[in-house]
Formats: sequence, C-alpha cells, structure tokens
Amino acid sequence: MSESYELIMDSTNKIFKHYCTKELLDRAENGHWPQELWDVLAEAGIISIGFSEQAGGVGGDYIDAYNILKLAGKYGVPVPLAETLIGKWLFAEVGGQVGDIPLTLALQNDSNFSFVDEGDGYTLGGSASAVPWARYMEQILICGDLNGKQVAALVPLAHAEIREENNIAAEPRDSVIFSQVKIDGLTVYQVDSVLISEKSLYYLALAKAAMMAGAAERVMELSLFYANERQQFGRSLHRFQGIQHHIASLAGETVACITAVNTAVQALQDGQYKTEIPLAKMKVSAASGKIAMAAHQLHGAIGMTYEHSLHHLTRRLWSWRDESGNESYWGSVLAKSLIEKNSPTLWEVLTDEQNLLIVD
Amino acid sequence: MIKLELPVVKFSQDQKDFRATIRSFLQNERLAGTFESKCDSWLSGDSIEFSRKLGQKGWIGMTWPQEYGGGERSAIERYILTEELLAAGAPVAAHWFADRQTGPLFLKYGSEEQKQFFLPQIAKGECFFSIGLSEPNAGSDLAAIRTKAERTDGGWLINGSKIWTSGAHISHYMIVLCRTSPYDQNQRHAGMSQLIVDMKEKGVTVRPIQFLTGEHHFNEVFFENVFVPDNRLIGTEGNGWKQGMAELAYERSGPERILSTYPLLEEMIHILRENEDEAGLKETIALLPDLWTLRNMSMGVAKYLEEGQDVNMIAALVKDLGTVFETNVAEKARLIISRIPSMSSNDRLSRLMAQSILHGPGFTLRGGTTEILRGIVAKGVVAQ
Repeated sequence: MSESYELIMDSTNKIFKHYCTKELLDRAENGHWPQELWDVLAEAGIISIGFSEQAGGVGGDYIDAYNILKLAGKYGVPVPLAETLIGKWLFAEVGGQVGDIPLTLALQNDSNFSFVDEGDGYTLGGSASAVPWARYMEQILICGDLNGKQVAALVPLAHAEIREENNIAAEPRDSVIFSQVKIDGLTVYQVDSVLISEKSLYYLALAKAAMMAGAAERVMELSLFYANERQQFGRSLHRFQGIQHHIASLAGETVACITAVNTAVQALQDGQYKTEIPLAKMKVSAASGKIAMAAHQLHGAIGMTYEHSLHHLTRRLWSWRDESGNESYWGSVLAKSLIEKNSPTLWEVLTDEQNLLIVD
Repeated sequence: MIKLELPVVKFSQDQKDFRATIRSFLQNERLAGTFESKCDSWLSGDSIEFSRKLGQKGWIGMTWPQEYGGGERSAIERYILTEELLAAGAPVAAHWFADRQTGPLFLKYGSEEQKQFFLPQIAKGECFFSIGLSEPNAGSDLAAIRTKAERTDGGWLINGSKIWTSGAHISHYMIVLCRTSPYDQNQRHAGMSQLIVDMKEKGVTVRPIQFLTGEHHFNEVFFENVFVPDNRLIGTEGNGWKQGMAELAYERSGPERILSTYPLLEEMIHILRENEDEAGLKETIALLPDLWTLRNMSMGVAKYLEEGQDVNMIAALVKDLGTVFETNVAEKARLIISRIPSMSSNDRLSRLMAQSILHGPGFTLRGGTTEILRGIVAKGVVAQ
C-alpha cells in the first residue's frame, strides 16, 4: 500500500458517494453513460493507479488499486473501472499507453481475433462475447494472431459491430464483432498471448472478488440499518434471534470475503497469486449467494422492489460470482494442478504459500 | 462504520524455518510410532509423554516471558506451532488448556507468586489445567452458576460441581469459576471469582462422563468443602466474570476451531491423488476456499490479540464459521469417497471419517454454542 493510501481511499470514497446515487445507478442501467463521473475519476487519477508515471500511470500499487475496486463494488460504480485499470497495466507492460479514456478488453484465449498486415494498416476479423461496457467505449484492448505471431492492439470500436447484451445487474456485456475490417494507423505489439490472457483472467477475477467484497459490505450496512429501523411485534427486528442469525451470517461471510480478498491482493503484490486468486474468487463467489439471500430474507418484501437500493447490490453479487470464473471453473483449475505428481501437498500449499503448478 | 478488516499475516524466513523444524520433529515422531494422526486430537488425544516432550523443546508457553519459563516468541510463531500440531493430528490435549488460556490468564491477572509457581511447570509440560465453567444447571447461561466459595481461615471452602470438564481426570489443577458473593438476580455477572483448585485436595471427586463414542475425555467434578488457600485466588475477588470472558478470545479464535477434521481432508486428498481421481479432487477442493480464508482470519485475530485489541466479537465470528466448516468436511467426505466409517477399521480413512462424524456434535457446542456466538456477533455489529 502506498504512503498516501488513506488519502486516496478517502477521496475515492467521497467521489463515489457523491456521484453514485441510486438515481445514477437507475439511469445507468437504462442507457445513460455517466461521463461526468468518468471525468472526475480521470481528473483524480483513480483510473490510472497501480502503475508508474513513466508508463503513464500515477503510481500506487495493487493494494491501492484493489481497495479502490472494493469501494467501486460497494457503490455499484457504473463504469468499467476494473477493465480500464487492468487494461492499462497490461498494455503498459507491452509498451503501450492509453490516456484518460475508458477502456474495455477481451484478452482471453477464447476470443479468436486475427490481423492481416496491409502495409498502411491491418485488416481485423474475429469476435468476443460478454465484453463489459463495449457500447460506450471508444477502444478495446485485444490480442490475436498476426502471421503466426501473437500481438496485442488497442483497437477503435467504431470499426466493430456491437450487439448489446446485459448481465443480470443490467451492466453492459456486449458482443463485439470485427468482420474483416481495415483499420488504418493501428499499432500492434508483439506479446506472449498465453501470459497476457492468463494475467487478464486472474487480475479480473480478483477485481470481481474485490468488488463483491465491497458490495457485501454495503449489503450488510443496509441490512443493519433496516434491522434497527423496522419494528414488528413491537420490537426492532434485530431483537429477534432468527434475525440475529441472519445478521451474524452476513457479518461472518462479509469478514470472510474481505479477508480472502486482502490475502490474495497481498499475494499478488508479492508477485505470487496463482493459488491465492482462484481461492479468493471461489470463496467470495460462494459467499455472495448466501449474503444476497440472507439480506433479502431480512428485508422482506421491500427489498424486492425496484425502489429500494438493495437490488443494485444483490444483482451485482449474483452477476459477478459467475464472471471471470465461478467456483466450478476455478475448482477445476486447482484440481488439475493438484493431481500433478510433483505438486506440493495440500498442507504445503496452505502454509508455505507454495503455488500449485497451474496447467491449462 | 463496522471494523470488519483483519490484518494480513506474512511469515518471515525465521518463521518459515521454525515451521520446517516442527514439521520434521512431527514426521520423526510419527515414524517412530509415538502417535497416530487423529481428528479432534486437541480434545480427545492426550499423551502425558508427548506433552512433556513438547515442553522440553520449549514448545509450551512459548510466548511467555523467559523469567517464567517461556520462550518470548511471537503469537504468530505460536500459531505456526499449534496449527502444525493439529494438522498432524498430534496428541496435545493434556497441556492444551494450560498453554492456550491458563498461562495468558496468569500473565494478565495472576500474582507474582502464582506466575513464578505455575508458569514454569506448565511450560515444562508437567502441569496440566482444566477449566471449570459449566454446571448441571448452567450451560450456555453461564451466569447461572451456583458453585460457591465461602470465606474460611486462611482461604476459601468450595461447594458445588462442574460438568463437561475436559481433561479433569488428567489435570493437576482446575480454574474454577464460582460465586464468592450470593447470587443476585439484578446483577447476575457480579460476585464471581476464579479460584485455583488442586485436584488432589480433599473433597474433590472426579466422575468420568463417557462420550458418545465410549471415549473418556470429559468429566463431572464435585467439590465438597474443598479448601483453597488465599493465595490461590486469581486476580480480584468478584472480577471472575470479566477475567473469564477475556480468556474466551483465546479459546475461540485459534486453529483448533478450523482444523479438528483436517487429518480427514488431508487423507482424502492423498487417496484421490493416488487414484488420479480428478472429479473427486474437484469436489474436495470446493472445501479449500473456506479453509484458506478461515486460516487467514484466525491468524489475523492472533495478530490482533497480540496487539491487545478487543477481539471478543471477531473471535466469536471465527469460531462460528470455523466449526461449521469442520463438520462440513465430514459431511462432504462421505459423498466423495464411499467408505463405511468405523472407529476400529484397519482402513485409515474409515477411522478418520468415524472420528469426524462422531466428534462432530461437539465442534459447534464446546467453547460457546453456535447460537450464543451468533448472538454475540449480531449484538456486536448492531451496537457499532
């Protein structure tokens, strides 16, 4: 964590709190792009944290960045902050620079982009699905094949066909299709596509986990407020033992989510994350369903209405737990590696921070 | 805003080396046949010889000041030791309570004479304690205890009884929570004190209570005019409730609330790897995120405890989640690898399954039931 950590968190919290009101979230899921919020975040350097100034960032480390994402999850921030941050880090690693525009990315192996060199530009074909916020973005970071070599490029989305789709939190998850279009003036960067794809997946998985932990914190705050305020049978809800068990479960799972994320973020900061990030994403994904249901049960009918703000958080929990690998996906990854003959034992993995040999 | 964050613990190279030392000691002991790895070994696996061996190595009371026979090591080093012992299923029950909570109790509230007399013996692994809390009519409602100590020449006379006292039959002393003033309905937590009872004293009767497996680890203990000298009162007369509650943070957040069924999990993974059963491994791995998270939570609490922070609520929270996890391991195991669980089977996995299932009811009862813990957590977060 950087020296100015407290200051960064405090000012980020203030910005999110001021802008990300229920009204803004309602409008965002009905087709509004909150440019003003983006400009404020860009101005404050929040979209460029976690990498050096030489590379176009504002400094800070992964601990700063992921704690900002935790806050973003808490307020349901309706812009691609995780995608922009991670896109910028990865693009900076291969030598590119992005600037202050919002960014989305599709670097995973399952996309199938291919470039053809035309001398003064490239022809690009291929598609990717569930691309966050693509409809509002000017550029997308992708990687693909160029004459048998793997390259990455920041491509203008004006050349793409975009099919609008949403996750269950009504966040844009669009299909992006490039139909052999010629794009002039494009710069491509040679990359290790396996590595960049893997990093993108792991970083995004941890981002989703951090955002879910933040959302869980907010769900808990709303639940505590309601359990205090709401009276039934002449008493506040929190006086009933049954309700206390929901509160204890919410508190327990929330602390667990935060601990899982903090541990994995520290591991990433220390350059080691291949076991920790899958474990954190699995833990938080599994907890998020419990958290959402306990909060709804506690809130009763009012929590199911569009008017209440609980759904902005619970629908995000239900969406994000399946994005960037759910429990089953990451469970398979860990099982595959644990079955390798020369893998460390379970206890060694847990206690010696020994990475499993992740195989694809 | 609620403080829901725990510190992330990182190990130094020295601490990693210490772990390796413990691990090779345990490996040698196991190979020499000193013990067999068991589930729930911290409560039901006692070996006086093994405890003495740990004492000789300086592995009891290792965080205590050297002047009292301790090792002045950090809470994190003690955490490493305890989790290695539990993961190996080593027989540590005999000294467990003295090391975990009686030592810290003496250090916080004990007189100089008590510290000098008891702590070095405990650290050598030669002096075991049990904790006398529950009574036949006071379980979760601990403030309902009736065992009383009355003033007599040079000390106290205790009358009453304690129940579910683990290890009373092998311990040298018991810390008895009792009433030193009459019960007052309006001030239920007042008037209690902690007295050290010598188990050899006249008037102490220990009656075994068979556990549902037939094993013997808990007891009913009767006190009939048992004399306790003045210098065996811990802390302040009437302050027993508060002193006892402070101990609970040590009791609730440790690795023994997570790892009681760990030997079963390790054996399952071992078998599934041997069989190259990827599907079974995947199912088993679904347990791992909880274990990994709980361990990091528990270490965070250990760090907070060392810093002197109030961890009452968070310790209750960790115990609730940890003990639910422990029972979950046993429930998942039987569906992933089919075996007939049996305490007497020749098959290791069958035995570990049987131990985990049969000891299971205790996990979420002992040291504060799940219901009590959830009440503490809920009240804690509502109040904040």
